[in-house]
Parts: sequence; C-alpha cells; structure tokens
Amino acid sequence: MSTGMRKVSDVLKHRSTLVLLSVPILLGAVGVHFFASSLVVSLYTYFCVNLILVLALQMFMGNSGILNLTHVGWVGIGAYVSSILSVPPAVKSMGVPNMYPALVELSLPIVPAIFIGGVVAAAIAAIIAWPLMRLSNAVGVITLFATLIVMHVVMTQWDNVTNGPRTFFGVPFFTTLWIALAGALVTLAAAHYFRESSLGLRLRASRDDRFAAYAMGVNVVQTRYFTFVLSAFVAGIGGGLWAHYITSFSPKAFYIVEIFMLLTMLVIGGAGSVSGAVAGTAIVTVLREVLRQVENTLSLSDMFNRDVYGLTELSMAVLMVIILIWRPGGVVGGREVAWPLLRARRRASEVASADVASDE
Amino acid sequence: MLKVIDLHASYGAITALRGVSLEVRQGELVALLGVNGAGKSTALKSISGVLRPIQGSIRLLDEEIANKKPEVILRKGISLVPEGREIFTGLTVEENLRLGAYTSYERTRYQNDLEEVFTLFPILKERFRQAGGLLSGGEQQQLAIARALMSHPKLLMLDEPSLGLSPTLVDQIFELIHSLRERGITILLVEQNAERALEIVDRVYLLKTGSLEFSGTPEELKSKLDIATVYFGGASDAEREVSL
Amino acid sequence: MIGAEFIINTISLGSLYALVSLGLVFVYGILKLVNFAYGEYVMVAGYALYVLTAFTPVPWYLTMTLAVGFAALISYVTELVAFRPVRTKSLTAMLVTSFAVSVFLQNAALLLVSPRARAVRLPSWFNRTITVFDATVPLRNILIIVTAAVLLVGLTLLMKYTVLGIAMRAAADKFTTTRLMGVPANLVISAAFIISGTLAGVVSIFWVGRSAAVDPVIGMAPLLIAFIATVIGGMHSLTGAVVGGFVYGLLFNTLSIMLPASVISYRDAIMFVIVIVFLLFRPEGIVRGSYTEERVG
Ligand SMILES: Nc1ncnc2c1ncn2[C@@H]1O[C@H](COP(=O)(O)OP(=O)(O)OP(=O)(O)O)[C@@H](O)[C@H]1O
Ligand SMILES: [Mg+2]
Repeated sequence: MSTGMRKVSDVLKHRSTLVLLSVPILLGAVGVHFFASSLVVSLYTYFCVNLILVLALQMFMGNSGILNLTHVGWVGIGAYVSSILSVPPAVKSMGVPNMYPALVELSLPIVPAIFIGGVVAAAIAAIIAWPLMRLSNAVGVITLFATLIVMHVVMTQWDNVTNGPRTFFGVPFFTTLWIALAGALVTLAAAHYFRESSLGLRLRASRDDRFAAYAMGVNVVQTRYFTFVLSAFVAGIGGGLWAHYITSFSPKAFYIVEIFMLLTMLVIGGAGSVSGAVAGTAIVTVLREVLRQVENTLSLSDMFNRDVYGLTELSMAVLMVIILIWRPGGVVGGREVAWPLLRARRRASEVASADVASDE
Repeated sequence: MLKVIDLHASYGAITALRGVSLEVRQGELVALLGVNGAGKSTALKSISGVLRPIQGSIRLLDEEIANKKPEVILRKGISLVPEGREIFTGLTVEENLRLGAYTSYERTRYQNDLEEVFTLFPILKERFRQAGGLLSGGEQQQLAIARALMSHPKLLMLDEPSLGLSPTLVDQIFELIHSLRERGITILLVEQNAERALEIVDRVYLLKTGSLEFSGTPEELKSKLDIATVYFGGASDAEREVSL
Repeated sequence: MIGAEFIINTISLGSLYALVSLGLVFVYGILKLVNFAYGEYVMVAGYALYVLTAFTPVPWYLTMTLAVGFAALISYVTELVAFRPVRTKSLTAMLVTSFAVSVFLQNAALLLVSPRARAVRLPSWFNRTITVFDATVPLRNILIIVTAAVLLVGLTLLMKYTVLGIAMRAAADKFTTTRLMGVPANLVISAAFIISGTLAGVVSIFWVGRSAAVDPVIGMAPLLIAFIATVIGGMHSLTGAVVGGFVYGLLFNTLSIMLPASVISYRDAIMFVIVIVFLLFRPEGIVRGSYTEERVG
C-alpha cells in the first residue's frame, strides 16, 4: 500500500465520522450552488446556520443529558451584540430611536462583531452558569427555564439596547452559502473533537451515571460549567451569523417556539451524537419547509376561510413524541456514524436492547 | 411451586445473572446464598418483576410470570421484602400495613390479619400510629415482613432480613423465619449470614458471579465446602472440589 | 401602610397560586416529571369556558364543572398517549415530551380556534366588588379563598384517609416498592394527572374570570408561577407547594406596590432573580419534605 493510500485509510479509520458527515454537507452545498434555484440556496444556507446552533446545543445537552432551554438566549445575545456593533450609526439612530448614544456610535466590521457576540454570550454564561450547574434535576430544569424568561424579559424591555419588543432591522447581510457552510463545518469539527476530548468524555460519564462519575474523580459541576460556557460561545457566534442572514429580528426569535424547533432537530436526529444533530437538522429543515408550504396552500384555499397557523409546530410536536416513544436515541441512535457503516449500526442496537422493567 | 429456568438478567452493560435455574417447592424454606455482588438480589428482583429478565422462564404453579409487572406478580402470590427494608418512612405503621393489604383488603379479614401481625410482632401494635421512619432498624425489618405477609403470599421472598441488626435481633429474625415456615409459608431466603441460614433451611442454592455454584441440602454443602468460602468467596481447595 | 385590602388580596392571590403549584407537584411527586404542559391544562379549560358560554345555554355552574372536567380529561389523555410510553426512558426524554405536549396543545388551540384572544363572559356577580373589613375587593377574590380552603381540606382527607391517597404518598416516596405492594403503577400516575388537571381547571375559572378572555398562550403565566412557587416552597412535598404559592403571592403583591413605575415591567425578571439567588442558599426550598428523587421506571 502506498503512503498516500495509507493516509487516506487512516483518516477514514480514525476520523471517519467527521469525513462521513462533512463530505455530504460540502457536496450538497456545491450541488445546490451550481444546480438549484435561489430559494434552495437560501434554504441550504439556513440549514447550515441552524446546524451551527444545533451542534452548539448538542455540545452541552447531548453530552450532559441536561435539557438546556437557555440555549436560544445565548443565540439572541450573539445576534444582538453583533448587530449593534456592525450596523452603521446612521441606520441605528433611525431604527432604534432610544438607543444609548455610546452604543449608536459603535461601528465594527462584521467578522469581529460576530466574534465579540460569541465572547459576550460566553462571558455572561460564565457569570451566571456556576450556580445553575449545581442544581439537581427538577430544580435545575426550572431554573434554566426561568433564566430563559429573564433573558427574554430583558430583551423585550431594554429598548435602549434592543429596540424593545419591536423589530431590530438594518443588519447588513453577510452570511452567504459559503460562509454558513464554513461555519457549519468548523462547528461540526469542534463538536466532534469536543465529544471525544477528555472534557467531553468526562461529561458523558456524568450523564450516564453521575455517582459513578463522582467516584471516578470527575468534578461534575466543573465539567458541566466549562461545557456550558463553551456551548454559549458557539451559540453566540451562531446567533451572529444568523442575524447577518436574517437581517431583521425581534426578541420573539429567541424564545419558546425557537428553542422548541432547535430541540426538535436535536432530538429527532439523536441528541447523543454529532451525527444525530446533523441528521435531525437536515430532516427538520426540509420537513418544516414542506409544512410551511402546506400551511400557505391551506390558508389560500377555501377550506378554512382563514389563515392556518400552528400546523408546523403541531406536526413537529407529534413527530418528536413518536420518535421519543419508538426510538428514544433519535434516528441515528446515540452512536456516531463510522466506517464501516454496518458495524456502528449493530453496536447501537445492542445498547438499546438492555432495559429495566417497564410495564408493558 | 416456583420454578426458575435459565434466568439471565443485566443492568445495562453489566450482566448480573447468567443462566440461573432454581426451584422452591410447596412449604419449603430455601436459601439463596453468595458473596456480595453474586446476584442474589438481582434474582429476587427478576422473580418479583422489578427487573425485566433478558432471557429465561419463571413459573409460579406452572404459570409463566417472567416479564409481568410487579403489581401483577404480587397478585399471583409472590411477595418480596426488599433489601434495605424499604419502609415508607412518611407513612405511619398503620398505613404501611394497609398498603401491604392493598390487594387482599376486606374489612373483617383485615382486622384479623392485623391481630395476627400483632401477636407475631407486638412492637408494631405499640408503634401503630407512628411514622415508619421513626422506627429502629429492627422494628423496620419487622414492619417490612409484616407488610409483606398482609397480602397472604403463596411465596415469601426475604432479601437479607438480618442485615444491619444486632446479634439478639438477628436471633429473633431467624426464629421468626423458622416459625413462619412452621406455619406452612413457603419462603425463599437470601442471606449473608450463611451459617445461621443453614441451620434453619431445607435446601440451599449457592450463587457465584451470576451462576449457580451449588445446590443441595445444608448438610451436603457443609460437607463439601469450607463455610468461609461462602462468606469470602476466596478460591480454596474445597471450592475447587465443588466445581468438579 | 398595610391595609385590610392588601391582606385579603394577598391571601386570595396566595390561595390561587397555592392551587396552581399544587397541581404541578402532584405529578412531580410521583413521576419526578416537571410538566411543561401543565399551563396548557389551564388553557384548555379556558377554551371550554369560552365555547360553553358563547355557544350553549348551559348554566354557569354546569359550565364551570364541565370546564374543570375537560381539563382533567385532557391531562389524563396526555398521560395515556404521551407520558406513559416514554415513562421508562430517560428523564430528559420525559421533559422533552412534556415540552412537546405543551407546544402541541398550544398550536391545536391556534389551529382550531384562533391566535387571537376570545372573550369569556362569566356571570356578572363573579366580578362584583364587595366590602369586608372596610376593604373593597372583588367577590372573585373571596371565592378563591373559599374554594382553595375547600379543595385543600378535601385533598388532605383524600391523601390521608383513602387507600388511593396512601398509595399516592407511598409512590411519591418509593415508587417501585409501592408496586411491590400490588398497587398498579398506572393507577397512581393516572390519578396524579387527573388531580393535576382538575386543579388546573379550577385555577382556569379564576384566571380567565379575571382577564375575561382566553388565548392560546394563557397557560404560560400559571406555569411559571407553579414553577417558581414550587421551587421556593420545595418540590418534595405537597405542603411545600402550598407554602410556596402563598410566599410567591406575597412577594408578587409586595413588589407590585414597592417597585417604582419605571422598573415595574421588569417585575417578573426581578422575581426570578430573587428566586434564583434564594436557591443558591437553599436548593431544596422552604419545606424539605420526604419525597426522594427516585426515578419511575
Ligand atoms: N442498580 C444497579 N445498576 C447497575 N448494576 C447493578 C445494580 N444493582 C446491582 N448491580 C450489579 O449487579 C451485580 C449483582 O448485584 P446484586 O445486587 O444482585 O448482588 P447481591 O448478591 O444481592 O449482593 P449483596 O449481598 O451485596 O446484596 C453486581 O455486580 C452489582 O454491581
Ligand atoms: Mg443484595
């Protein structure tokens, strides 16, 4: 075997997951760029942006097993910070009449603005996350939910910064197909390496058995804390990219409906693995688009005599519960896709078959 | 009465039982012995439906009960006194006993059963309205056994009833088990205290890391095996002899 | 100056919030599930009130009974269809399920009725003001206190003196051992959901009675109150839920009076911050309780 061949086969063996996931995403982008309509290009870009957000959610939630409802709040912080930093002062003073003068004057290029958005999100997460990571199951979930609401209240009320509940517009478009793709691939690699890193392994050990992890000397709170902050950083960056794709948004975009959509993507694909996050994002992005079309068609037809709302979310909720009942590990099933494909499949089913008494 | 054939059970990736078969006949007192982690509790949990076995058959009076829910198996007549007593600490002694009689409740019968429990366990009468959590360890163990008896089980399974009790209380518990047996109750007993258990039981099964190591009468076991190996599981000459 | 009016209104708000949080804790105690769909049981009862008052000649007492029954029914159906099949899966799976059920019910209301609020007309005496102890308060507020008192006494009797109640308390403590007594798991869980839904229905009457309207997201506020009140009071006992409800009502009314107008819109955020800080010092809440965190499997 030549050295070149050996290198390829080595990569396939050790990095097969990354290759198997990123090559199709890359090829998809190329294909869409050359052969598809602008609508599809736009949808694919949106898929890549969503993938960043879902992978950031997977980093914390998938590896720790903790339902993180604040996730969309960090996305929002990233979006607002990078928008405030990058929108030209003239546009800001018009669009956000009450904004603090000091903020109006700020003007940065888009790339550093997005980066700072991630840093700010991570910094705020670093300040508040320590106590949150200490709380046990139920109280922890409630507190995370309350934190999301506090974030939402601040976003809707602080109109000197966010324009209150009104739309923040005039954000320059930046996130093209290629930029979103690059962001998605970098995040994919980051999430993959994180999962296999010692921090990721310790976190997964604490997810599977908190007490055993303690016994092995894992500092569970600290492990969760670092991951949470890291996840907030990636979410903040993703939020910046999202803002420069959407170009106008309001605090509604960082609340219950949106966290639900991100959760659907993660859970349907399978929260336990990066592969699951990719599969879920792809499935839900397509499905949601189809359902929106159905909603629009129904709204225009005479069947209901009015606009049809809620069909998309309703169907997603049903799909999610069905997945949780029939395939709780998600479509992918908690393991990474790997080379050769069949071996990974078989191992996953072995794990799924072990269960404790239920009441069927 | 109870017939377990080729039972396999696991906790996720950890396999705890690998093909265990045992039998308890009507009116017998049978002991299931083994070192810590041998799988004794796992066997009782599987029989009582708390743990779903992976493979194998569990028959009670020729009826298959593997994979049934715990509440169903109790109705079929198997009552388990779990390891660690599992008293409802927030409920009074009275309420604990009332739940024990959940499936068998009928007013006059219940009153009679209570009287009978009070003769067996006089202390429970004194503590009738106290919270279960306020009882001492020995009292809790008595309550746990009394609670299990309230359902009139065909088979009573006891998981380490002497655990954590003082020597005098251990004596009392073994006397009690003996007297229950004299009353004709079929019992499957799991014990760490092998020496004491061997004094009162009819037959013995010895478990080792999830498999049966020995079955027979206490005398047979004693003659074949240095009792210390039952305690500590160390590989002695006697043990090698058994495995032949 | 604390007047009779403040006291009565605070007791009445506390009573309402006690019922709200009690409904959540009934399910939490047994299933260890923080039910995000709980607010939606309040919402569906609100829509039942709307449909019955707007389209049928049903008298008010029947309207209210049917609305409460409808909430209990929906709660039971969600248990049967969604929660029961995922019960043995991970805790996060259950939480995500309850989130999905919540989204489902909200969007069902959106789809079947309308995103806009619908007016609900309860009998006019419901909102009449009366004077007691020199204080002028809505009759509704007095009714809340009476209803809550009756319900709390009733539930106490149920939990203390019926086998079902004893079994439910036992199941909240040690679920598996309760099944070993022959108590069917599904029975206690279903009972918990039905009681939870019933309480949500009763809450809905007063909630919708106050705003005189119902919309698809009306359940959000009671859900949050239940969350925060139970966390303050302690998730591990029914008493804790009641205590938490009253403490939350007091906190809310006090903040409403004391906060300057410029920050009143941040009131909810301020309350949550107080609660989060409180939790740092006492994560188990005011009442410790005896319920364990044993998962139901
Ligand atoms: N809940 C559990 N989760 C994972 N593994 C378990 C669990 N319970 C028991 N085990 C494992 O299963 C094996 C058998 O355990 P089991 O409790 O049946 O032992 P035992 O014979 O009752 O021991 P002891 O005398 O200490 O009670 C052990 O290796 C134990 O580590
Ligand atoms: Mg044991």
